[in-house]
Amino acid sequence: MKRLTLALLLSLVFCTSAWGAATTYAGYQYWPAGQGASTSFSPSWFRNTFYKTSNFDTTVTFIDNVSYSWHSTVRSSASYVQTHWLSSQTKKAHCRANTTGPSWAACTAY
Amino acid sequence: MPKLRNSRRCVVLVIGVVAAGVIAGAVVAARLDDGIPADLEAALRDDPLVQVAGIPAENGLAGRGVFVQRTSAGFICLWDAPSATSSVRQGGCNRTDDPFGGRELFVSMAYDGGPAIAGIKDARLVGVAAREVVEVQVLMSDGTRREIRLRKANVAGDEYRAFGYRFKKADLRKDVTPKAVIALDSTGEEIDRQATGFAG
Repeated sequence: MKRLTLALLLSLVFCTSAWGAATTYAGYQYWPAGQGASTSFSPSWFRNTFYKTSNFDTTVTFIDNVSYSWHSTVRSSASYVQTHWLSSQTKKAHCRANTTGPSWAACTAY
Repeated sequence: MPKLRNSRRCVVLVIGVVAAGVIAGAVVAARLDDGIPADLEAALRDDPLVQVAGIPAENGLAGRGVFVQRTSAGFICLWDAPSATSSVRQGGCNRTDDPFGGRELFVSMAYDGGPAIAGIKDARLVGVAAREVVEVQVLMSDGTRREIRLRKANVAGDEYRAFGYRFKKADLRKDVTPKAVIALDSTGEEIDRQATGFAG
């Protein structure tokens, strides 16, 4: 029984490590202008990306949980947009469409 | 003997459960990685960056480089970064067959603080322009314009006009804010306009 418990714990570790590598926190076929999405708050987020299959104006940023200020914000119409914020502060990754996105696009945080 | 058989069963069970965990982990990772193609991710990490412009240090803010990265994954990327080897880059990529994403300017704006204009500490604009563009300006909310100096740059045989610009503190006020980045051709006609999001 002890071994079985150990094995289950190991499995959980594998799953958790895979989860921690990259989290696609929003993915839609259509992004209306103003549509935003966020991860949960955590000190471990450091990279935030927006991958699009067509070009439209988007923003990626980090929002801290004290002042709710934005950090390392990047705004661009490029088909892939990326930012980094190397801080131990508790934060959430946030992405948003500034204009309508007509096709598949997804926000991924690390 | 039954004790030995039970131990073997237990070992097999443990191996099975661990293997299931590994597979489940890989499946989860693959699903979550759907956001970015694996070849683009590898190219961003491994392909070299070429500096095409710079943003000088001023008022306690560090200097930055403007870099272009032609990737083996079929993307051309524009980065605002402390150096060519820094992985802490801000910017983005377009497909190589449409480097300006259907426009005349490939622009990326980065800033710290905000989103209210009063809270913004450092706002920068980096970009590359199509051949037709001879002038790039920042249009302010009061109608005035700030001219951005363009610099010729050659990346893998392709010629670009690149720029890096740090917004002046005086231009990040509640009453007057940067409204858009505009591109002008040789006749002075506006051929592209991209909103900054700071004003209206």
